[in-house]
Amino acid sequence: MRAMIIDDSRAMRSILRRIVAGLEFETLEAGDGQQALDLFESGQVPDLCLVDWNMPVMDGYTFITRVRANKEWRHVTLMTVTTESEQGQIVKALAAGAHEYVIKPFTPDAIVEKLELLGLLPVEALA
Amino acid sequence: MTLAPALTDVHAIVDQVWTSFLGEVEPLLPADVAPGGPFPAGQAWSAAVSVSGGWDATVTVELSAALAVSLTTTMLGLEGPEAPDDADLADAVGELVNMVGGNLKSLMPGPSALSLPAVAAGRAAHASGATEIACFDGVWAGEPVRVTVHVVTDAPVDLLPQPIS
Repeated sequence: MRAMIIDDSRAMRSILRRIVAGLEFETLEAGDGQQALDLFESGQVPDLCLVDWNMPVMDGYTFITRVRANKEWRHVTLMTVTTESEQGQIVKALAAGAHEYVIKPFTPDAIVEKLELLGLLPVEALA
Repeated sequence: MTLAPALTDVHAIVDQVWTSFLGEVEPLLPADVAPGGPFPAGQAWSAAVSVSGGWDATVTVELSAALAVSLTTTMLGLEGPEAPDDADLADAVGELVNMVGGNLKSLMPGPSALSLPAVAAGRAAHASGATEIACFDGVWAGEPVRVTVHVVTDAPVDLLPQPIS
């Protein structure tokens, strides 16, 4: 399984990379929604995206709507990982097509729990 | 009337961020700080985010340079002699204020928008006319950190009503 981490913070990408790499995911990284879309369009389409909400160039909401607008990418699971915890923003993300929502700060267990709920933990990680 | 977050809420949020990313071995402790600030201007990093909408405020985090290095090293998972550079420090301190500001925003009247962080090497500068409405001073591993909330208003400031428990 392949996970793409989309966050403008290198530190946050590093934290998330260590978590999902520890779950046997291959990882890709992008610093904003546009970089992530460029990777998609170059054929590097992941199984899972961990998407920040507030980013320069292209924010998480726009990225999610762009991915959901392409039927070839409908299989991609989208999980927002963000400080945005207002109810309205959560509803907006889920309505746009996100499957799950994790609020920063988070623990590694919170990410694992969400991936397990989504049925995305690789067999190796469950063993 | 301008609402201010309770200091206990500010402390709880900072503590949660700290514990999540730096672990629980070394606790973040509240500290009494003498007027004038806990660290020299040249040995500090600072970052700020603005909240605008239902609640308008600026949330600022200032921390010693040594603490900024510890924080960044931990967040990036650096090991051995590898040291973070200034871009790494700015990135990590910016993410720190992003998390603190975003979680404070969620406690206050909304909806509001959170800006991208602005980060600087040195102490924070505040807009003229800005009023400090909350300040948390803490110490982690002997190094100081300060979180402040400022608003630009002439209106009286009141604490956010707390739920009755």
